[in-house]
Amino acid sequence: MKKQMIVYITILMVGMFLSGCLSEEGTTNIQRETGNQSSGDHKSLTVLFSFASSSLDPHQDWMPVPAGMAETLVKVDENLEIQPWLAESWEQIDERTWVFNIREGVKFHDGTSVDAEAVKASFERAMEVNRAVASTLKIEDMEATGQALTFITSEPYPALLTELVHTNTAVIKVDAEDIGTQPIATGPFKVTDFTPQVEIQLERFEDYWDGMPNLNEVTVTFNSDSNVRSLALQSGEADIAFHLSPEALEPVELSEDLRIESITSLRAHFLLYNMQHPALQDHNVRKALDLIVNRPVMVREIMNGHGTQANGPYNPDLPFATEQAGDTYDPSLAEALLIDAGYDKNEAGFMQKDGEPLSFTLATYQGRPELPVIAQYLQSEAAAIGVDMNVVTVENIESYLWEQQDEWDIVTYSNMTAPRGDGGYFLNVAYGPDGSLNPGHIHIPELNDIRQQLNATADREERVALQQAATAIIQDEILHSFMLYPHIIVGVHERVTNWRPGAVEYYIIDHKMDVAW
Amino acid sequence: MRRMLSIIGARMGQLVIMVFVLSLATFVLMKVTPGDPIRSILNVDEIATTTAEEEQLLKEYGFDQPLLTQYTQWLKGVVQLDLGLSMISSEPVLGMIMSRLPATLALTAGGFMVLLCITVPLGLVGALYEGRWPDYVTRWIALLGASIPSFWLGLLFIYFFSLKLNLLPVMGMGSIEHYILPSVTLGMAMAPMYIRLLRERLITTLQSSYIEAARARGLRESTILFGHALKGSLMSVVTLFGLSMGSLLGGITVIEMLFSWPGMGELIVQAVMDRDYPVIQGYILIVGCLVVLINLVVDLTYGLLNPEIQHGKEWAS
Repeated sequence: MKKQMIVYITILMVGMFLSGCLSEEGTTNIQRETGNQSSGDHKSLTVLFSFASSSLDPHQDWMPVPAGMAETLVKVDENLEIQPWLAESWEQIDERTWVFNIREGVKFHDGTSVDAEAVKASFERAMEVNRAVASTLKIEDMEATGQALTFITSEPYPALLTELVHTNTAVIKVDAEDIGTQPIATGPFKVTDFTPQVEIQLERFEDYWDGMPNLNEVTVTFNSDSNVRSLALQSGEADIAFHLSPEALEPVELSEDLRIESITSLRAHFLLYNMQHPALQDHNVRKALDLIVNRPVMVREIMNGHGTQANGPYNPDLPFATEQAGDTYDPSLAEALLIDAGYDKNEAGFMQKDGEPLSFTLATYQGRPELPVIAQYLQSEAAAIGVDMNVVTVENIESYLWEQQDEWDIVTYSNMTAPRGDGGYFLNVAYGPDGSLNPGHIHIPELNDIRQQLNATADREERVALQQAATAIIQDEILHSFMLYPHIIVGVHERVTNWRPGAVEYYIIDHKMDVAW
Repeated sequence: MRRMLSIIGARMGQLVIMVFVLSLATFVLMKVTPGDPIRSILNVDEIATTTAEEEQLLKEYGFDQPLLTQYTQWLKGVVQLDLGLSMISSEPVLGMIMSRLPATLALTAGGFMVLLCITVPLGLVGALYEGRWPDYVTRWIALLGASIPSFWLGLLFIYFFSLKLNLLPVMGMGSIEHYILPSVTLGMAMAPMYIRLLRERLITTLQSSYIEAARARGLRESTILFGHALKGSLMSVVTLFGLSMGSLLGGITVIEMLFSWPGMGELIVQAVMDRDYPVIQGYILIVGCLVVLINLVVDLTYGLLNPEIQHGKEWAS
């Protein structure tokens, strides 16, 4: 009898606990549901992003620019061309001197006007607190008079203009009290509250120089799990969710209230070859490997269509991308090339030369979930032509590439190839003899000459021609096998209007974006 | 009282030694695993850098110095209560960790409450119906709970409670309702072990002589059960919770990342990825101290709750 009592009490307790949870939520829930609905003239929106920000200091963290808080001197537009932003115009006086005219009438969030002196102070701080900025800008001296700011670089540096697109060069008021949580900048939105790694609350800045922002409030939240991001979008907790994974899009696509935006990014997935491996020094072998890369299948099956086949380092929308078609999948030609290179098939069906089977270590990493899948797919394609590939998955790919150079032969890699709309960056890091992305020690004198010429060339058309010439060498020599350009997949609620994500992810929230209800 | 002070003194001594060994081990392990923060410092948002610049920075941070020199440098700071600055953000490490600690502790407390709400009823049922169907049901629940990974459980909860039923927020922190899903996920992920522990303890206790004596005195069965047996058995749950604090703080990271909880999870994961040594070392130090302190508190309350238990002796009776 007593025991039965206890069972009843137990059931009652569990029941009370559950109902306690539920009813409590039930009441507050109504608020939550309407949280993102705009009532009357008050319009608000929530953007969910994948990498969290732990600081709002624009010189340390990139988020303040995409979040619409801070702005840089120049920006890149949808066509990936440099446009004025806080700087109205600029002029290159000589090889090392540039004058930027700061736009009149721009105000900081505290109401003070932005002049060249303030911009200079901001640049001084950026270079002091961020080593990477100091290293990329190469600014030796600055001079401020009225609205004119003069930069003198330490060497002839035509790429300065594109490097000024970098989000960490955003202009802020340097004497603000707490730059990490309350930066005072010039963007259409200003911070009202910030919880590191979780949420930024923004409200519109009514004195914004380019006109009154349409939205009253914007919330930026973060979550590193793409499943959770997708669920938050579907539940209405977020209006825009970035970086959804291609395999989990169906519920979003099926929903009437949601749409998917899929845009080519400035990133490329490619194979890095270790030029220290004797077989990989042979052009025929690299060409054979490139021929077994089945680009259409990779885009269709591995990326679920959210990718574009690659024909070189640069996304086809870029003005300096090559128009030459890339290699098409042709395993029999690959086999023929290997035979040309002196290999023949042994009884077991493996390619060999002087009794040594042709075998590679193919390294991959989990950071981008599609890369290990691509590696496995390549392994099976290689096996079909008698090439042995041993796939290894490593954790910290950057240090593995440099510190274990004798262990890997081929690596599936992914990198931005034109991060600020200019290809010079990739040519320098990936093909320069001491570039930070050249662990395979690629050294082609002809390509190096073009690279150095590019670094000293300011003229836009000449730069395009040089970058195209470089691409032609890269593709002919098969220095890397470019496989595809992954898309940026963004889920958007239909109430969001006047907005589309761009290939450059530096600008997300702007003063024009709006909500329909 | 004097005994208590001596216990505290001895524990503090142990703490210093333990933290020293722990920090040395982490330091050495972090250094021997491949990777250094230089590439993270220089390679922010794809900036073109050269290997020469990387080497220069390596020297500036003293990474070319012998390991022991680097470690003593860090230790000198710690003695002066200075955990140094993050290599990536240049913020003081102590502040970074301390600002995130409360959220992690709050979630731990929430998880513990859920744990009790699940463990006590199920443990009771299991013990009272030992070997009969309600016991089997609780065991199956425990087994099922133990085999579901916490991130998957969290995703299921989000799917049902946030998306399908639209009752709870998906993620974030702010109102009381934000606490529920992460706490329930954490509590449920931990519960199986505790359900079984409580059941075993209760079964042994209910068969012990003092319970028989209580029965003989004619006390009501419910008084015996809740007043004596459960009270005694719950202490082992509290002890185990204290002891497993370290692994709990590790496991909580997954849940924090899933629910965008502003605790130490995201901070430490990012620090490990960037090889931000001062942050990793600081985290180990603070969490190490925390675990030791919680164990101390558990031990002390244990003594207070049950004066029969003497410290330094096994509580085998």
